[in-house]
Amino acid sequence: MSDVKYIKFNFDVSAYRLLGRELITDRITALFEIVKNAYDANANEVEIEFIKVSPKSNESKIIIKDDGIGMKLSDIQSKWMVIGTSSKRRERVSPAPYNRKVVGKKGIGRFAVDLLGSKLTLKTKKKGEEEWIFLETDWSYYSKLETSQLELPFDKKKEFFTDIENKYWFSKGAKNGHGTVLEIEDVNDEWTELDIKRAHKELSKLVSPSSQIPHKHPFKITIKSDFPGAEKIDVKPLSVIEYATVSIDIKYDDVSGKQEIIQYENGELIKKEVSSRAFGPVNFKLYYFNQGAKRKFKEKSHLEIDGIKIYRDGIITTPFAETEANIEKQKDILGVDKRRYSGFFERINSRDLLGFIELTDEKNPRIIEATNRQDFIDNKEWRELKLFIIEHIQQIEKYLKHQRESIRNVTKSDLGRADAELKSIKKTLANVKKDATPEVKAQLRHIEADLGKLQGTVNKSMRDYAKLEEDSKQKENLYFSLVSLQTYASMFSHMTKHTIGHVLRDAEYFSKHFPNKKLNQRFQTISTRIYNEFIALRTGVDFMLKYAQSDNEIEDINLYDLLDNLFFNIYDDVFKKEAISASLEIKNNLILSYNKKALEDVFDNLISNSIKALNNVKDKKIKCSGIVDKNELILYFSDNGIGISEEDKYRIFDIFFTKTADQGGAGIGLYMVKTRIEAMHGTIDVIDNEFKPTGATFKITLPFKK
Amino acid sequence: MDIQILIIEDDPKLEDDSLIWELKDKFGEKNVRFIPSPKEGLNFINENLHINIVVLLDIDFPANEMDGHQVLAEIRKMSHLIPIILWSGVNENEESFSDFINNHAFGFISKTATSEEALKIINKAILHLESSIDNSIEDWIIDNDEDKDKPIYFTGDGRSYSLNQILNEIRHQTEVGKSFATKLNKLTIDLLLRNKENLND
Repeated sequence: MSDVKYIKFNFDVSAYRLLGRELITDRITALFEIVKNAYDANANEVEIEFIKVSPKSNESKIIIKDDGIGMKLSDIQSKWMVIGTSSKRRERVSPAPYNRKVVGKKGIGRFAVDLLGSKLTLKTKKKGEEEWIFLETDWSYYSKLETSQLELPFDKKKEFFTDIENKYWFSKGAKNGHGTVLEIEDVNDEWTELDIKRAHKELSKLVSPSSQIPHKHPFKITIKSDFPGAEKIDVKPLSVIEYATVSIDIKYDDVSGKQEIIQYENGELIKKEVSSRAFGPVNFKLYYFNQGAKRKFKEKSHLEIDGIKIYRDGIITTPFAETEANIEKQKDILGVDKRRYSGFFERINSRDLLGFIELTDEKNPRIIEATNRQDFIDNKEWRELKLFIIEHIQQIEKYLKHQRESIRNVTKSDLGRADAELKSIKKTLANVKKDATPEVKAQLRHIEADLGKLQGTVNKSMRDYAKLEEDSKQKENLYFSLVSLQTYASMFSHMTKHTIGHVLRDAEYFSKHFPNKKLNQRFQTISTRIYNEFIALRTGVDFMLKYAQSDNEIEDINLYDLLDNLFFNIYDDVFKKEAISASLEIKNNLILSYNKKALEDVFDNLISNSIKALNNVKDKKIKCSGIVDKNELILYFSDNGIGISEEDKYRIFDIFFTKTADQGGAGIGLYMVKTRIEAMHGTIDVIDNEFKPTGATFKITLPFKK
Repeated sequence: MDIQILIIEDDPKLEDDSLIWELKDKFGEKNVRFIPSPKEGLNFINENLHINIVVLLDIDFPANEMDGHQVLAEIRKMSHLIPIILWSGVNENEESFSDFINNHAFGFISKTATSEEALKIINKAILHLESSIDNSIEDWIIDNDEDKDKPIYFTGDGRSYSLNQILNEIRHQTEVGKSFATKLNKLTIDLLLRNKENLND
């Protein structure tokens, strides 16, 4: 060992540490950043060793050792000791022959060390150098100074951070040796066996399974610890995806400039080519696991199936380093699990999916990790990318739904076939019996009796199956109304809050200022408003009650009769009074199998909505027409009222959105229309108005069950 | 001191709310502005950085608009001087509140609050504005018109700024303006510590 010398940091350490705490919020992210630095330094191997970290002792240590290019003393002086070294931002590839795409950013890896423990001995050497360089930094000393600097009195002469001497010395080493060793002492937190296992799980996601790390220049991560069974763990990228139930592998073609996507069509997932989207080209592997597949995967890999991660140049983007062990509490950065309505039963979530989005620094520059490494910067490109991912999950959902349905159909037709075959056997048997000897006849009678029992069983199965299907359909409807009720409840409390606020402040204003002749106009407004607010509140409560009482009985309904009754019976008086000419152009042989009350509600609401829209219009018209298209019934509901402005089209179905508050509108009608139709698995949209110059046309599509 | 109270809120019903009446009675009809669109609200702020604004900001906006979180962040990109009070019926959870704190929201008024409760917070915001550096400078200029064009600040690259110009720089939150404000505070503390000046009540 050579003589000890001293070196000073070239920046305010207090700012550096403050920044570090903002940038690296947890220790898994800290490990990630240090390992990424090793990758950028062309290391073939990184070893993370935990010594006496549980329970935390005075001798606790974390040693992170790599065989990368290492540093010279001049590197330490000009890079390590200087904040915000920009070399990483300038050079996008690591030195030849590795030429790795640099994955660490802004030189924040160094901050990570401080988060892990308070004392660091850095040991480093470049190939060909005679000596290893040792540098010792005691962060706790800086902490003390940081506290004292904030103490009064200010005028007392105190040391600056840049005055502090950090020890360094040299020690002989083999000429060929190279790399960097970070020996962290005084480890901040206890690391239990579980923590280390989690570090393993997370680090195994660091390198993308489809990453092209060449064999010549491998990148291996090893974790060592004192825990039995975890003395030496080789961290390997995920590779056990052969068990997936559905696999999607789409690429971007550099030559044609086309992006592959997957779309569900006629029972299959089909690959298509489109132009690349705003976020730039991506490669995307997505795997769906059903229950059985999940079990096999877990047995084989001991890893969790935990959703879709984003990789850049083969290395995971830090927002996906999970410090949270509980899967339920983990970040849902992509919003996969937040989706609510996209097919309640077909919906799959992060626990069923493994996915790898591959980006590059060069071609997806607008997908940017937030500085605190916990999320991405919210911009148009990031939102598009999230959408792209969700769209693909939806395609899988459609595919799975189709599969489930076709399995159901196969079961049904198998049962039907069994029934037919049994009948035919019986017939043959009857024929054989005619010519048989008495002994054989006796035998055949037994067989006949058995066949009869068998047929009974098959028939019962068919009936049971039909009943089961009906049950599940009813359950489905119930769930739908529950889900929409949940939304309704949250919207309702929101609306109630507003109503309370209005009425409260109005009453307050009144009691504070009344009487005052000058304010009479306002008092007038207040009383009307309180009245209207309460009417709206009452409608909301009534609707909630209606929901509570609604039955889920499904029956065959003749649509023409239903509409005819509404148009020319129930609303007849109103139409006459308002001078509205109503017309119905619909075949009278369409039988729908839905809940009658729900269907009536839909049209009841559409009609009363139209009546309001026709308030000040001459020559009033309401028209409903329908066409049958394959398995769908398409209905057009039009009026020539004031119409819907472009800006309102997207929110017309929102609950409590109303433009007719002065006519007692509470903004519930169209919301209910939409939820009812969605519960029937149909859709409703505002389309170009049929009547010109003004008016509104709704297009309603209902799956047609013949 | 003139104050604009800007309400960014998409519910048209609130434009004629009793609270708005109270505000108009107190601060004058033309000083209370109701803007339903976040984008237009931001435009208004951008064009009026030279005046004192207190913002009452709703959180929930239609899906194709920015929400309160984004609007707050956008305003903060323009200026740190504007007190922003969130006015919402939403029950925000801790997580979504953290960015309100990070972006220095001034306060929170529930949609169920009475006018009196709301006015308390709005008055606090106004008091906060009144005691700010830029307003102290403005008051000085009003009282001592002859000082307004005197150069008082010289930068390293040889530019000089008059009191009036520096006021403009602070309100527009330029680097010069921000650095002046910091230095001015330091100078004051320094003067007090070295007993060069006394502040007497």
